[in-house]
Amino acid sequence: MRLRRALPGYLMLLPFAALFVGFLVWPLANSLYFAFTNYNGVKPPSFVGIDNFRRLWFEDERFGKALVNSFVYVAAAVTLTTGLALALAVAFRGTSWRDRIMRTLFFLPAVTSTIAVALIWRWIFTVEDFGLANTVIGWVGVEPVQWLATPSLTIPILVVMAVWGGCGYGMVIFVAGLNAIPEEHYESARLDGASAWQQFWYITLPQLKPVTTYVVITSLISAFQVFEAVYIVFRGVSSVGGVQDSGLMLVPYLYDMGFTKFQLGYASAIAWSLFVVIFVVSMIQLRVTRALREL
Amino acid sequence: MRRSLWPTLGRIPLYLFGLTMLVPFYWMLTAAFKPVPELTRNPPSFVPNDPSLDAFYDPSYTSEQRGQQVVAGLFQRFGDVPGGFGRFMFNSLFVATAITVLSLLLASLAAYALTKIDLPGKRVIFVVIVASMMVPWQVSLIPNYLIVRNLGWLNSYEGYIVPALAKAFVVFFLVQYMRSIPDDLVHAARVDGAGEWRIWWRVVMPLMRPALAAMAIFVVLAEWNNFLWPLIIVQSDSMANLPVALSRLNASNAYNPQHFAVIMAASLLTSLPTVIVFLIFQKHFTRGIALSGIKG
Repeated sequence: MRLRRALPGYLMLLPFAALFVGFLVWPLANSLYFAFTNYNGVKPPSFVGIDNFRRLWFEDERFGKALVNSFVYVAAAVTLTTGLALALAVAFRGTSWRDRIMRTLFFLPAVTSTIAVALIWRWIFTVEDFGLANTVIGWVGVEPVQWLATPSLTIPILVVMAVWGGCGYGMVIFVAGLNAIPEEHYESARLDGASAWQQFWYITLPQLKPVTTYVVITSLISAFQVFEAVYIVFRGVSSVGGVQDSGLMLVPYLYDMGFTKFQLGYASAIAWSLFVVIFVVSMIQLRVTRALREL
Repeated sequence: MRRSLWPTLGRIPLYLFGLTMLVPFYWMLTAAFKPVPELTRNPPSFVPNDPSLDAFYDPSYTSEQRGQQVVAGLFQRFGDVPGGFGRFMFNSLFVATAITVLSLLLASLAAYALTKIDLPGKRVIFVVIVASMMVPWQVSLIPNYLIVRNLGWLNSYEGYIVPALAKAFVVFFLVQYMRSIPDDLVHAARVDGAGEWRIWWRVVMPLMRPALAAMAIFVVLAEWNNFLWPLIIVQSDSMANLPVALSRLNASNAYNPQHFAVIMAASLLTSLPTVIVFLIFQKHFTRGIALSGIKG
């Protein structure tokens, strides 16, 4: 009986499993192997041990730059996005048409092509005097700025893009989390004379902790994988990282090494470094949350 | 009424902020309908004085005028691609539809086998599928590129579609949902003599509709907006999807502001379909995200 069903069962699993192994498990194994080789895609890979990782983490200044940029960008983007998403969720959690329109509005960037969005920002921050950003600062008497050609402005611009693009997504999750908090908690707090702030501080925030952890970790993961914004907005003639690599981050660097310089072994080492960074940061985040919960 | 005043006052900056959310969209919209001289005027106009469709198709454009105040409209470009910009729209639509239909079919079959059939070894298989979700997809990018190159699938629909069919996340999500479907239904169908394939299609799939809808929206959106993989495998203009075509427009024209009406027109045509789909199926979107925490 059991075996009679096992055959169709395996047959049903087979198409997915074959593709899963062929285009995910096998490539991952390959990628791990490439990371320890010197490989240009034409000649067979030659094994070099941990040389790629040693060079990457201890000698490569561009990788150091990509790493620092990534951490600064991720810290700023995730903090601002999460805080704003929470504020928006508290303000617009209701079922009135006004709240629903606001939620729709904030969510729009999440469904819009990242390339289209990046091009819009490129147009807003154009160096020309008639660009929107330059026009707006002109109203308060500031001279036009070479937005995209000023290295110190690269990360701030990318953070603005990330917050604009990401707060609606966090907001939707926070709204779901807020609406799951039992109303009785608030009622008994009000009976005890708790102010709106006290209710937020002592009920809403603690109850939202799992949701917050979830939002923070998913934002962290996607922020570390940023590519399109850098590639489109800060695209230069010769490099993918913007002026003086001011916007170079992990995935753009991976793309640069792998698909413009064809150092596939080295690029694979970058890919696994990306995995390690995301994994470690997520684990730290989980530990911190757990520790905070036990306080 | 201390309680009702503060929330109202506190919301005003957030409403204003909500309006600034729209500014980039609005700026794209105005640029797409401005003629070139107005586009590059200082100070810029906030409402197009003389709205025109030149950015899409400029009837007065001829190739001799290049470099003057006239640029080719969007549908007058990509002359070496049959169908021009329309071809990219077709590519995007075809690839996103094919991947969505096929990946959902494969994933629901796998999910059925993993939840409703007592398969030896299924626990291990499920653990491997879930574990694979922890690795960023970019890690498999280079080997997948080499595999697709060796198969001769660069610059082809196969190259777009086949590697994108194994979606671990979709299986994971469908398994979670399928567990909530009572096993008794499946047993009853078996007692009636129905085969496993028939039970999957006739009994379980109809009950999976909400989950399938949420996943379909998620996959369509991700594939419509997919960029890095197409960027790597597309070689000729004719196989580009919309994001890659946008990127190519950007690479060859972004240093001349006169071309930005056309770039914004292309961005508009790329983002409009997903925005419309979102506005129609909004409930499914937000429910799916709240349920599963899909990255939109």
